[in-house]
Amino acid sequence: MLYTIIVFSENKPGVLYRIADLFLRRRINIESLTVSDTGDGKLSRFTITVSADGALVEKIVKQIYRIIEVVKVVDAVDEQLVFNEVALIKVSTNSPKKRKEVNEIVKLSSAKIAHFSKADVTISLSGTPEEINNLKMLCKSYGVKEFVRSGRIALVKGEMQDRKNVLSMVK
Amino acid sequence: MTTRSSKPTSHTLSGSQILLESLILMGVDTIFGYPGGAIMPIYDALYDYSDRLRHILVRHEQGASHAAEGWARVRNKPGICFATSGPGATNLVTGIADAMMDSVPLVCITGQVSSNLLGSDAFQEADVIGITTPITKWNCQVTKASEIAEVVAKAYHIAGTGRPGPVLIDITKDAQFEKVEYIPVSRVHIPGYQPVTVPNPRQIEVAAKLLNDAKRPYMLAGHGVLISHASQELIQLAEVGSIPVAVTLHGLSSIPTNHPNYVGWLGMHGNYGPNILTNKADVICAIGMRFDDRVTGRLKDYAPHAKIIHIDIDPAELHKNVKTVVPIVADAKQALTALIPLIKKVDRTSWLREFREYYDIEYHQVIKNEIKPTSGKIQMAEVVHELSIITKGDAVIVPDVGQHQMKTCRYYSFNKPDSLISSGGMGTMGFALPAAMGAQVASDRQVVAIIGDGCFQMTIQELGTIDQEKIPVKVIILNNNHLGMVRQWQELFFEKRYSFTHLHNPDFIQICKGYGIPAKKVEQRSQLKKSIQAMLDHKGPYVLEVACEQFENVFPMIPTGASVDEVKLSQNA
Repeated sequence: MLYTIIVFSENKPGVLYRIADLFLRRRINIESLTVSDTGDGKLSRFTITVSADGALVEKIVKQIYRIIEVVKVVDAVDEQLVFNEVALIKVSTNSPKKRKEVNEIVKLSSAKIAHFSKADVTISLSGTPEEINNLKMLCKSYGVKEFVRSGRIALVKGEMQDRKNVLSMVK
Repeated sequence: MTTRSSKPTSHTLSGSQILLESLILMGVDTIFGYPGGAIMPIYDALYDYSDRLRHILVRHEQGASHAAEGWARVRNKPGICFATSGPGATNLVTGIADAMMDSVPLVCITGQVSSNLLGSDAFQEADVIGITTPITKWNCQVTKASEIAEVVAKAYHIAGTGRPGPVLIDITKDAQFEKVEYIPVSRVHIPGYQPVTVPNPRQIEVAAKLLNDAKRPYMLAGHGVLISHASQELIQLAEVGSIPVAVTLHGLSSIPTNHPNYVGWLGMHGNYGPNILTNKADVICAIGMRFDDRVTGRLKDYAPHAKIIHIDIDPAELHKNVKTVVPIVADAKQALTALIPLIKKVDRTSWLREFREYYDIEYHQVIKNEIKPTSGKIQMAEVVHELSIITKGDAVIVPDVGQHQMKTCRYYSFNKPDSLISSGGMGTMGFALPAAMGAQVASDRQVVAIIGDGCFQMTIQELGTIDQEKIPVKVIILNNNHLGMVRQWQELFFEKRYSFTHLHNPDFIQICKGYGIPAKKVEQRSQLKKSIQAMLDHKGPYVLEVACEQFENVFPMIPTGASVDEVKLSQNA
């Protein structure tokens, strides 16, 4: 089962190392990881996705809580989440015909063109993993020169982390 | 956010002086350490603080970390050790890992190369933060003198509160030299670290109901009972509810061995009844223990009839190994205090009698022959038994790791809390000599280390520290010329293929004498009592070597992978 673990911690060095070590000790591979500051430089937000057994995730969540800098941990499955990834796809468009067709695909998939040159266009898409896979597949026949996708960012639907509350703990 | 002390002294100090001032502000008076290049500014400052800080120069940094553990477990507050960068810091690692496993508060200070050299593979540079991250409760590198006061207050607080553990501060050499204004910091606020100590009253009610309705309730006491000074509460709860109490290795001495509700020691080499009857209990109340695999045996057949109440200050321990019906996050003393008034007086004489019956079986088949043998060489158990009688169970006992440790736990009758200091989780050979030394520095009680010939040689150099500091610790070497526990496993599970477990030992008496420590060897049973008495009567440090039977085994035993009720009384049982 795929779980998304969202961690809020003080923005200090070493927290990522401690979190990663907990997964390493249990031999769980991290599927994706996104870390960013939440806006004021004091609080970091980690979004980690792992494929693991629910009981094990519960144990790891408690061990993440044990890290001194961590102020809040939430774990959720996809049904409980709004989530997105970002992908960049560099597609070969060496003929006007190809370029036109790729342009059409970009429009239909609500993606946008981030950069273009004579030989290729780079498409940027923010969406679910399925939407990104779909776009990649559609571009395949034109020749995908390079493909990169980010880790997941996620919010719990409805009432969740009261960010104000978490922030007030840090201040 | 930090709380500055009310009277800020506005004078400039070096980072090294700030470190020492900050430690003194925390109440520190003893440091175990070893100098070296990257910590020299701190040692230079220490030269002027000898009236307020006792520094004990160990012979190897591992000795410093174990000594600080021994000190911490007697005083119930963080033990302090100093080491230099690189090899100094890596030598601390075994003691730090040991403290992490056994929830012992340590504050380790390591010197580090100057900040402009970090990451450049400078002389004696090691990534100490990286190395110690998995084995510390918290660690931090400091590169500015202005950060030191706050970091020390934070480290000391984290180490000693909640579930205690080791912390490490790595201070670059330039930060040790740098001069800044010293503003004392006595307390820090850590947003993500607010250990819960007060139990949820609803959970306490549910736990009380379970215990009151139980026919065969059973309490398991661990290290947490001692850490929170909850021995009296444990005993009171056991007496009111007429509930049997068994202990884990670190729970030993939380209840006197001769208390009527005390039924014995749990685990692989624990007592017969307490292990077997785990699987007959209908309610288990586990307090400050973590259901370690040495205690539970095969997990899927552990306590199949019991509803489990688990009290622990560390939420990550609840449901970690064993499914719990009533998890209670709390300080053991507070949880027990809340439980006691809700517990009904119930007569459970017949349940307690079952333990007694199993004890009688164990006594006749194992104990009697071990503590009162009439022929053959001296056995480890009789040494421990005699020591227990002569010291009236009042000594602080520090066994090392292996067969002699198991025999010590089985045969010493503890009278007072905090009387057993041992490496339980890590099973660190070489722990006892430095830990006993640290414990003796911290305690007015007599500390006696019980050490095997293998373990002794892992940290034997601390005899130098003991002599230099005139630490009146007593040491008993139980010498069987083998790595006894490994040899036992080879005998039982590896077809007697004794692969590298025989030790050709040096003359320990000559070694002790070389260090200036009086020592005596005893080989005859008739001389044993007298020799132990002479050791205890001696005013300073003393080593007593006992030549023991070479092929002794420790029983009862729950073989690896077996269930607690498959405990064997002998090899052929």
